[in-house]
Amino acid sequence: MSSAAGPDPTEAPEERRFLSTAEAAALERELLEDYRFGRQQLVELCGHASAVAVTKAFPLPALSRKQRTVLVVCGPEQNGAVGLVCARHLRVFEYEPTIFYPMRSLDLLHRDLTTQCEKMDIPFLSYLPTEVQLINEAYGLVVDAVLGPGVEPGEVGGPCTRALATLKLLSIPLVSLDIPSGWDAETGSDADGLRPDVLVSLAAPKRCAGRFSGRHHFVAGRFVPDDVRRKFALRLPGYTGTDCVAAL
Amino acid sequence: MLGVRTLLGLGLLVAGSRLPRIKSQTIACRWGPTWWGPQRLNSGGRWDSEVMASTAVKYLSQEEAQAVDQELFNEYQFSVDQLMELAGLSCATAIAKAYPPTSMSRSPPTVLVICGPGNNGGDGLVCARHLKLFGYEPTIYYPKRPNKPLFTALVTQCQKMDIPFLGEMPSEPTMIDELYELVVDAIFGFSFKGDVREPFHSILSVLKGLTVPIASIDIPSGAGTQKVGQGWGRLGPYPPDSCPHQV
Repeated sequence: MSSAAGPDPTEAPEERRFLSTAEAAALERELLEDYRFGRQQLVELCGHASAVAVTKAFPLPALSRKQRTVLVVCGPEQNGAVGLVCARHLRVFEYEPTIFYPMRSLDLLHRDLTTQCEKMDIPFLSYLPTEVQLINEAYGLVVDAVLGPGVEPGEVGGPCTRALATLKLLSIPLVSLDIPSGWDAETGSDADGLRPDVLVSLAAPKRCAGRFSGRHHFVAGRFVPDDVRRKFALRLPGYTGTDCVAAL
Repeated sequence: MLGVRTLLGLGLLVAGSRLPRIKSQTIACRWGPTWWGPQRLNSGGRWDSEVMASTAVKYLSQEEAQAVDQELFNEYQFSVDQLMELAGLSCATAIAKAYPPTSMSRSPPTVLVICGPGNNGGDGLVCARHLKLFGYEPTIYYPKRPNKPLFTALVTQCQKMDIPFLGEMPSEPTMIDELYELVVDAIFGFSFKGDVREPFHSILSVLKGLTVPIASIDIPSGAGTQKVGQGWGRLGPYPPDSCPHQV
């Protein structure tokens, strides 16, 4: 059994189910630098897997027309990019996504992902109503791709912050990508955060996922090579068949 | 607390004027040569699964396939990396559906992935990586490697996942039949034109003598210039290309 690099010494190696923010960053660095994955590759894999998780939690045949409408709220950082990819795959999977992406990142990755969504006729809202009832009525579910681990709420600008405040009062299902926006990635303290029904952990669950109490928790980490998983001493349920997500 | 009627009124007002969410009935459909375009219906603004089930699959010519690619790159701003990842993942998924690990003799099942000098070879590298994650034991033969970051990165990803790269191609079909349960042909794709040069000419000759199944990515390599052998199943990420010699 290979020894792990940097796990919490108070946790037995076989029992680790979560990564700290620093470990998550180290895992990503290993994929990017040692394995030479491209950032775009990883974002595509995560976004695709997030969409697959939505199809598992909310299978299309069971949904009415209105319930297939999905509002995807994207922040300006990497989590937002994953949200853009997720929206595109939801479109391909025959859901009806709409995107709210108010603080557009200037980097090429975000711009290209935005173009792909626009070209597939996915509408981009110019503003999000602050009256949550309007969102509850217009959409069947919401995907929160606003903040990710290590992104401070203050960094993402007014419209995103206001959107999160509105989403806190949501009564339709909420799916958060990686960490519920507003939660502290380590402690899961969620004074200002959301209460998602579904959490899709990207690559591996973060510590705050220990405090998640919603309906479904998926990990989208099929693409993580075994050696990397072993190096971080993660023990997670296996994936079946060709599934890119596993339910925890 | 707002009354329902007021809410409805607000909703209509917002939907009509300030909220630019397009209702599905009025989505402007894009008609045209995009591969998913012709299948969309105006009324639904999305695919009608019944129509799709009853419509025969359209086969693309080489020119059409190239036009699809160009549209994806130029208009949709997809990158080669992105499309290659999706293509390779789709192929691995298709192979796993056609030849599930439980149906194979060895555990894990052994697969030989032969990668050509272009993008089809890149698809094969991605496919091999996902096959490994799906529980297969792939081995790659990749004799002609473009000196571009895209391809060197894909090779690194495979190497780091302990996927072996053969130094030379087994010279006899029986050698391959004995060692591998499946061969993935990722040699040439739809943009292939002209004569098959070495070492691929010899490789294709060996593959023609195989008894184990071959899964070809996009088109059976060499189709159009040579007769396609028995047992060549085809699979690909895009709608099938038309080949002069259909399997």
